[in-house]
Amino acid sequence: MHPPAGTQEEKLGVVHENLEGWIPPTATEPEIRLALEKAFDYRGDVTLTLKDGRKIEGYVFDRKSAGPSLADCLVRVMIKDQPAKLNVAYSDIAALAFTGRDTAAGKSFAAWVKKYNDKKAAGEKNIGIDAEPLD
Amino acid sequence: MPVPVSQMWTVASYVIRQRMAGRKRYPFVLMLEPLLRCNLACAGCGKIQYPAHVLKRQLTPEECFRAVEECGVPVVSIPGGEPLMHPQIAEIVDGLVARKKYIYLCTNALLLKEKLDLFKPSKYLTFSVHMDGERDHHDFAVCREGTYDVAVEGIREALKRGFRVTTNTTLFEGADPHSVRRFFDDMMQLGVEGMMLSPGYTYDKAPDQEHFLSRRKTRNLFRQILSNRADNWRFNMSPLFLEFLMGRRSYSCTPWGMPTYNIFGWQKPCYLLQDGYADTFEELLRETDWERYGTESGNPKCANCMVHSGYEASAVNDTFGSLGGFLATVRSTLFHKYKDPDAMGGASPSPRTNAGQLVQIATSQKA
Repeated sequence: MHPPAGTQEEKLGVVHENLEGWIPPTATEPEIRLALEKAFDYRGDVTLTLKDGRKIEGYVFDRKSAGPSLADCLVRVMIKDQPAKLNVAYSDIAALAFTGRDTAAGKSFAAWVKKYNDKKAAGEKNIGIDAEPLD
Repeated sequence: MPVPVSQMWTVASYVIRQRMAGRKRYPFVLMLEPLLRCNLACAGCGKIQYPAHVLKRQLTPEECFRAVEECGVPVVSIPGGEPLMHPQIAEIVDGLVARKKYIYLCTNALLLKEKLDLFKPSKYLTFSVHMDGERDHHDFAVCREGTYDVAVEGIREALKRGFRVTTNTTLFEGADPHSVRRFFDDMMQLGVEGMMLSPGYTYDKAPDQEHFLSRRKTRNLFRQILSNRADNWRFNMSPLFLEFLMGRRSYSCTPWGMPTYNIFGWQKPCYLLQDGYADTFEELLRETDWERYGTESGNPKCANCMVHSGYEASAVNDTFGSLGGFLATVRSTLFHKYKDPDAMGGASPSPRTNAGQLVQIATSQKA
């Protein structure tokens, strides 16, 4: 149940945690659920270690987490450098690590203004933030 | 009129058919994102924050056509990423034109002049150019100097060659209403067919989280910019939706009205929120818990949203849903000045800035 909408009006934006490099605890069901929800929100790749020993690195683009048990829930992963999308049940996951870079970190307007002022002072022209490199 | 009669008729007859069929939830515009990579890195964008392997992926033309046929809409908006970076964008557009879909290809226009030869002017194809304001404001908003001038060149060339061109403008905290009104004058002077507006949405994934507009501020800003309109301003949007932005009417969200399809699938629940994906359009409609979204739900992620992707469909439904809605639309089309002497709150007009002088949006104390 959400609080009345009017109380939320002025609370804008989210504060992103610095999760890059984090290895969350996954010993209990609540810990697994929380860790995978954060993996879904994360703006970079994660590495899942499965109970059969396989490691999967990729971007968690979806989760179906409403199931009553971990076996009924899954994450959907776009695997790094492979065409496939993979469904992985929560119950098959032994560990999770936020191994990829947070692609949006450090790119706020405040960071842009600072960068702009520094480069302008250095005499540069055509200043801008570069798009994410693909290689 | 900003929109060809054939397009208005196509949309109107489609909506009426849906209502006569008793369909409670139907789309009318597909937001088709063929790729997520872009040649800009705007701080307020929540659409491009992905690892490189995700940005390299793209939809095939066949996947695009399948999505359009699945949901059956008359209008397809092609945003991204930057659609002109897709190597088969001409094939995608050609296929949609052959299917008689009205297309709004949303572009920052940095590649427009270079790629125009790939396309043919058609009543079905409109280039919707991302322009966030006057030169300095736009360049600052998209985090790259020189962008405004390149975009204007692209617009001029497209218009010269007979293409339909509109602009689309996203406004954030700190937007100067006087500057925005001057910008409207500039765009109409360029000769665009019409303009589209939106308040910036509080994307969770956007790098910047400080400059989104609350509902209260959105209504105030849009009242300032849309009251006392110049005679030659044309907006390529539902007039009732513009009244909603101005705070003159209320709507509930219609997130299924403009569904999104991209490399991940059909986005739940809407163009802005990324709360999971469905593999088919039917699954999207059936499995999304729609009661969890919209302002009435109390969902904090929806609390400040007034974006067209959820609310313009509501306005269109209003137009065709009752005699009152239809008459309100006629009235707002005929009497479109919205005289309001108090709209600006007594604020003095701000001077146009010199080229090269950066207009700074107020930044957080934490910077």
